[in-house]
Amino acid sequence: MKYAYHLIVAYLTLHVGWYILREKSFWKQAGAGLVLILFVLRLLLIQ
Amino acid sequence: MIDGSSFFIFGMVAAVSFFAGRDFVAQRAEEAIMPGPGLTSMRQLSDYFPPLRGTAGDTGIFVFEGAEAGGNVLILGGAHPNEPAGYVSAILLIENVRLARGRLFVVPRANASGFTHGDPQEGAPQRFGIETPQGTRFFRLGSRVTNSIHQWPDPTLYITPTGQKLAGIEARNLNRAYPGLPRGSLTERVAHAVMELIRKERIDLGIDLHESAPEYPVINAIVFHENSSDLAALAQMALQGEGYEFRLEASPQNLRGLSHREWGDAAGIKAVLIETPNASHGRIKGRPSASLVVDGRDPYYVKAAGLGRLFVPFGPEGIPLRHRVARHLAGVEAVLGALSELEPEKAVGLEGLPSAADVEAQGLGAFLRPPRL
Repeated sequence: MKYAYHLIVAYLTLHVGWYILREKSFWKQAGAGLVLILFVLRLLLIQ
Repeated sequence: MIDGSSFFIFGMVAAVSFFAGRDFVAQRAEEAIMPGPGLTSMRQLSDYFPPLRGTAGDTGIFVFEGAEAGGNVLILGGAHPNEPAGYVSAILLIENVRLARGRLFVVPRANASGFTHGDPQEGAPQRFGIETPQGTRFFRLGSRVTNSIHQWPDPTLYITPTGQKLAGIEARNLNRAYPGLPRGSLTERVAHAVMELIRKERIDLGIDLHESAPEYPVINAIVFHENSSDLAALAQMALQGEGYEFRLEASPQNLRGLSHREWGDAAGIKAVLIETPNASHGRIKGRPSASLVVDGRDPYYVKAAGLGRLFVPFGPEGIPLRHRVARHLAGVEAVLGALSELEPEKAVGLEGLPSAADVEAQGLGAFLRPPRL
């Protein structure tokens, strides 16, 4: 269950990262960046 | 592919994640406790209940043994890690006392998991500092309940091992989980391990150190199991002689899951719980801060006291941690004194305990070992 959870969070993290790469508007990138911080913290630190 | 703005955003994400992550991980670090020369041995709670080994519920037990035979006493701090006077008092005991007679078991972080996080939406500081002559000793300020990372989800309604119905969050409250369950939740397994410690070490008296909000009626009190009414009354008289007013609260028979009820019912030991007033986890407080924890000053509580809404006097000088710890130490000394008076064969000869008056006058730092720099 733990691995499935981490896979889901990893998938969403990559998606947000991919969105930032594709997006041309700086402010939309910045907004997605804020969301990415939460996903990165969840992916790496939540036990 | 990576243009300048994406590069900047990823850099910011990495920087913010690093600093936020570092603070988050710091919550899991256990601050050092530096026992005095009186310590005889160290054990783990899992020694009494092996399934707890390697889990977030396992915690250290500091054992002091006297040369003469006597009683066996358990002192529990940190059952609620947002009640700092309880576990700072336990740490102060560990770092100062010696035993001439009997055995003393001190558990400073009873709910170890609760020390790894804070109460959500409270904005409480992660730690607070106490000045010692050689520098500042820092201590974690945790949550009242087990970390939901270690025990999740909460039920809508929590039914304690003895059948009391409580709000769901209380499923993570160690002091509602006694006598615990060997196959229950993490909190119930910790409670079960404490009961195993009590049974296997033939504990005679258990003292649970807590704090409560100034607007809560059970405060500046000794809560006692009915088998300990003489003990509590004698202790109260001794405390009055020292200038400390404590009210006596009988443990209600229909309020289940608490240490002062279940330790007495399930293990037959004498059980008391000592409460001191802590503004930092009350509901009327202003901005939470480390200073509020240590100095205990809060203008909103002063106003509430003026309106007669509190159960303790609360002036502009506040109720500092050193005073609350002094009360706990005076309470422990008085309860142990009462035990030796009532049952001399179960007396515990405690030496080196800082007097409450000295703690009040010199501050906590004078009796804590220097920080590891």
